Amino acid sequence: MTGLKLRNVRKSYGAAEVIKGVDLDISPGEFVVFVGPSGCGKSTLLRMIAGLEEISGGDLFIGDNRMNDVDPAQRGIAMVFQSYALYPHMTVRENMGFALRFAKKPKDEIARAVNEAARILELGPLLDRRPKDLSGGQRQRVAIGRAIVRQPDVFLFDEPLSNLDAELRVHMRIEVARLHKELATTIIYVTHDQVEAMTLADKIVVMRAGVVEQVGAPLTLYDDPNNLFVAGFIGSPKMNFLAGVVEQDRVRLPEFGNQSIPLGHLANPPAQGSEVTVGIRPEAFKRGGAAGLELTIEIVEHLGNESFAYARQSGGQMLTLATEDGRGLQPGQRIEARFDPAHVMLFDTSGQRIR
Amino acid sequence: MSRVFAQARSGLVYAGLSLAAFVSIFPFFWMLVGTTNTAPDIIKGKITFGSALFDNITNLFAQVDMVQVFWNSTFLAIVGTVLTLAISSLAGYAFEMFPSKTRERVFAVLLLTLSIPFAAIMVPLFVMMAKLTLINTFTAILLPSIASVFIIFYFRQATKAFPHELRDAAKIDGLKEWQIFLYIYLPVMRSTYAAAIIIVFMANWNNYLWPLIVLQTNENKTLTLVVSSLASSYYPDYGVVMVATVLATLPTIIVFFLLQRRFVEGLTGSVK
Ligand SMILES: Nc1ncnc2c1ncn2[C@@H]1O[C@H](COP(=O)(O)OP(=O)(O)O)[C@@H](O)[C@H]1O
Ligand SMILES: [Mg+2]
Repeated sequence: MTGLKLRNVRKSYGAAEVIKGVDLDISPGEFVVFVGPSGCGKSTLLRMIAGLEEISGGDLFIGDNRMNDVDPAQRGIAMVFQSYALYPHMTVRENMGFALRFAKKPKDEIARAVNEAARILELGPLLDRRPKDLSGGQRQRVAIGRAIVRQPDVFLFDEPLSNLDAELRVHMRIEVARLHKELATTIIYVTHDQVEAMTLADKIVVMRAGVVEQVGAPLTLYDDPNNLFVAGFIGSPKMNFLAGVVEQDRVRLPEFGNQSIPLGHLANPPAQGSEVTVGIRPEAFKRGGAAGLELTIEIVEHLGNESFAYARQSGGQMLTLATEDGRGLQPGQRIEARFDPAHVMLFDTSGQRIR
Repeated sequence: MSRVFAQARSGLVYAGLSLAAFVSIFPFFWMLVGTTNTAPDIIKGKITFGSALFDNITNLFAQVDMVQVFWNSTFLAIVGTVLTLAISSLAGYAFEMFPSKTRERVFAVLLLTLSIPFAAIMVPLFVMMAKLTLINTFTAILLPSIASVFIIFYFRQATKAFPHELRDAAKIDGLKEWQIFLYIYLPVMRSTYAAAIIIVFMANWNNYLWPLIVLQTNENKTLTLVVSSLASSYYPDYGVVMVATVLATLPTIIVFFLLQRRFVEGLTGSVK
């Protein structure tokens, strides 16, 4: 098993810097997910690891070897593309065996590798078909199979599930997770979908505009985000952000009729009078919390297992509340939304977390 | 009411199409009939089959070294097509896969040259060939046609539909650029190539003006030159001319029918 090290890795297209110095350590066998909004540089970073884009600055180590200038085929990686990128003129079998055939491996070894991959992914009946005769999900499995056959040290996935419908996406997500269990190989997986990131990753790398915002285990990012961006990106529905002003151990909320909530226990509390952003997750509102906000419900959505209520105070900012016992909620209803002050997060004006 | 109208409309459409079909098919029919008639009959406008086919064929082969002429045309058309496709598809691939500001400018200049008629560069080209002492050689025919701007443009456009991720996948599978071109691009783009083969082969086979100027001795003449010289003699034997014309038409028809399906695919976008 092989780990990776990125040291101040940069990429520029002409004058435009797209990757602005990324430092990252990936342990052997780890499942790492790059997540971030579209255009933030996830694919570019992945393609730099693959050797498909030149690295403008910094060092890339795969295992113990500096790989900046090594051929893609020599890096011990295999990649699965969003468009699957199966060779249309070859059968599934030929597609999967192509790299080995090209490397002049003996025929029986190729056959064994292809059959083994076909077994893992249940592709047996499809081996003699061409890509155009396969469904999207099947193509994706073949693309993964092609990667497996090469027995890489590191798997690279670039939004592999984005072209599938919702149901198939969930199914394939589980397949990928199972695959990682079975092969125990290092995987780097790019997605813009935070649910995919949360469910698959050992470690999530949240990126924005070519910069790594935070690296951590999924629940760490959920419970303890470093900044507004990560707090807003991880979690669905999105965290509520309320403008506030610090006044005597409490935060006054001008948008909510100047109600205030307790500041909570902070190692470095903000100065009196400073402006802060208060973050409360929709699911943090629970009966019996020690703090509360008086709100009027405007819209209610029932999903069956849980309900979302959109509430505010007299024309102010709208809050999202998620609750499992919200079937009785009605639009127009006045409520006292209770929550545990320990679950409130504070961010300073630059978006950094106040701890 | 509207049904009558629709019927009248489709009647008109069919009448129009029939007329167009007649106009395009009748000359072929006349050509075939002509091969079986004597020159006087043809001039009289006889459009039924006659019995002079054998005489016409014998006369043609007596007047012209048809084997040599046919070989000349075939050689030029096939070698020209292969070279043109090889060079121009490589160029189209490169323009699309390795874009840069400079290359875009070069490409724009290339496109501009499309608007220069051949007649305008004929004389300088001839002088150039003369200086290279290539007059009356096949090289003089092949050389100027190999880098076809139109075919480069055609391949560049077609390459836009070639998925770039295929190239990336091939790189990861260990292929060098030329191997990607040969083992991935070429087979994936075969419809594009088929359409280009038809276009280039026909253009080469029917090429007239430039061979007329450059090829000067009889043993180098091509079929188009022979047909035209037969037809423009003082007393043209139209039966013989028609036999030569049929021979001149056959190869393009064969090539077209062999590649017809791919031709249509190639023009409508080949990557699937
Ligand atoms: N070849 C290129 N030339 C110039 N800019 C590029 C090129 N490829 C990508 N970019 C830019 O790099 C940024 C990151 O792109 P990408 O890595 O594809 O984002 P993501 O995968 O996160 O959606 C984008 O702003 C994109 O416009
Ligand atoms: Mg991307």
